[in-house]
Amino acid sequence: MYLSREEERIYEGEEGWAYQVAMKILVKLGDLFNADRLIPIESAHVSGVSYKTIGDASIDFIEALSRTGAKVRVESTLNPAGIDYEHPEEMIGLPEIREKQDRIIRAYSGMGIKPILTCTPYYMKRPSEEAHLAWAESSTVMYANSVLHSWTNREGGPSALAAALIGKTPNYGVHRPENRRADVIVKVEAELEDDSDYGALGIHVGRILRDEIPFLDGLPHPSESSLKHLGAAIASSGMSSIFYYKTPYPKSSDRLEIIRVDADDVRRAYESLSTTSEKPDMVYIGCPHCSAEEIRDVAKKIKGRKVREDVKLWICTSRYVRERAAEHVRMIEAAGGKVLVDTCAVVTWIKELEVDVLMTNSAKTAFYAPTMNGVETIYASLDECIEASCSN
Amino acid sequence: MELPGELRGRPIVEGISRGRALVSGNPLSFLGGVNPETGVVIERNHDLNGKCIKNAILCFPHGHGSTVGSYVLYSLARRGLAPKAIVNERADPVVVVGAVIAEIPMVDQIDISNIRTGDIVEVDGGKGIVRIIGRKE
Repeated sequence: MYLSREEERIYEGEEGWAYQVAMKILVKLGDLFNADRLIPIESAHVSGVSYKTIGDASIDFIEALSRTGAKVRVESTLNPAGIDYEHPEEMIGLPEIREKQDRIIRAYSGMGIKPILTCTPYYMKRPSEEAHLAWAESSTVMYANSVLHSWTNREGGPSALAAALIGKTPNYGVHRPENRRADVIVKVEAELEDDSDYGALGIHVGRILRDEIPFLDGLPHPSESSLKHLGAAIASSGMSSIFYYKTPYPKSSDRLEIIRVDADDVRRAYESLSTTSEKPDMVYIGCPHCSAEEIRDVAKKIKGRKVREDVKLWICTSRYVRERAAEHVRMIEAAGGKVLVDTCAVVTWIKELEVDVLMTNSAKTAFYAPTMNGVETIYASLDECIEASCSN
Repeated sequence: MELPGELRGRPIVEGISRGRALVSGNPLSFLGGVNPETGVVIERNHDLNGKCIKNAILCFPHGHGSTVGSYVLYSLARRGLAPKAIVNERADPVVVVGAVIAEIPMVDQIDISNIRTGDIVEVDGGKGIVRIIGRKE
């Protein structure tokens, strides 16, 4: 890979260790994937924020970078943390956890990254179309490439951080137009209504695809939230970083493999995401973090009802969306639900809040929660989730 | 018994390691798939479920799942629970960056069906070579 004289200097460590490590990560990835050079990025989104998911050793790594005084060179945001700082009373109250989480956020903030703790930063600021980005968090990557038409590879936490510090990313993968074409046509022969139908479809598609790029043929008029759930699910069970759903067939479509998906496939995906038929202790909406429209939908369904005493209803979103949906947030909270920010049920400690059975309309959460949270899962539509959480 | 001997792949992270192979036919997610405090695979329906990856020459087709996986590899290395080397059929960025910052020798473009769990294997990450030097009958 070609490096400019300036980039060579950084690689040799002349601007210090942090920039050197960052440059090494970028160059290693660039060489591996046959990048010709580094290209400037518009923004970075960094994952690896919750203390629950990254653990102790990673704090040392991030703090070591931060201590050097290195700063990011582009606008950068953070994925959700392990604590809701606005509603600490809902969280596990261990001082050690709070201290570790504070250290992580301080270290990132010290590098100039905005402590906007969300997996849907695009509701706050949409990236430009065809802008190059370095975004981590697989659902965010899927949404950026497929719905927002920005261009980002599926970065890891460290590679997004490295790109933020350098302000560039290696020119490979879906940064090149020739790598953004669909490889396979998925003919969807199933009726899809709720976002959870799209999530179940996504889990099935991710399982059969490896890292191929699907053109999903036969989606009627998916909402942006349906597409968000679809992408998050494909990325959970698979490696893809982009899908197509409405653009005309790519020119080479006659040579593309065609895979058919029917209602049985979707049903089986639903079944695979539920591990129990017990009653839920927690009902969770907001993976990925809710849009203002999703919060409005919950508010409409829950208006005039009451959340059961023995069930926690969590709706997770960003501070930005929570403020904008204030009226609907009040309706949900009047019914006994909690609209939380900065975190989500997967990256915080819910088992410790005595949650054994988690019900959700998020395929991504149902996919990860049994191992990441040690809970049983029930995967269901938003209607069923609200029904199970209310006593009237 | 005849061994496949020397397998040539692509060098990814330099370093030479020798150890026992732990071979999987399934993609692996380090986030949620491996317990960072024990090094034991906990991914459901995974053929390595219950196996510890500490000090293994860990061979699997490729990574999948969350991008936080790179940090889990770093965490495992700091706790002395990391594999001694990683051998993939197709490397993905999450595993590659994890191997770079955790300094775990890594090679890809290897047909891992040539390697069996328990084989004594030497990996030269700088040259992209995997040598099978011992196998139980």
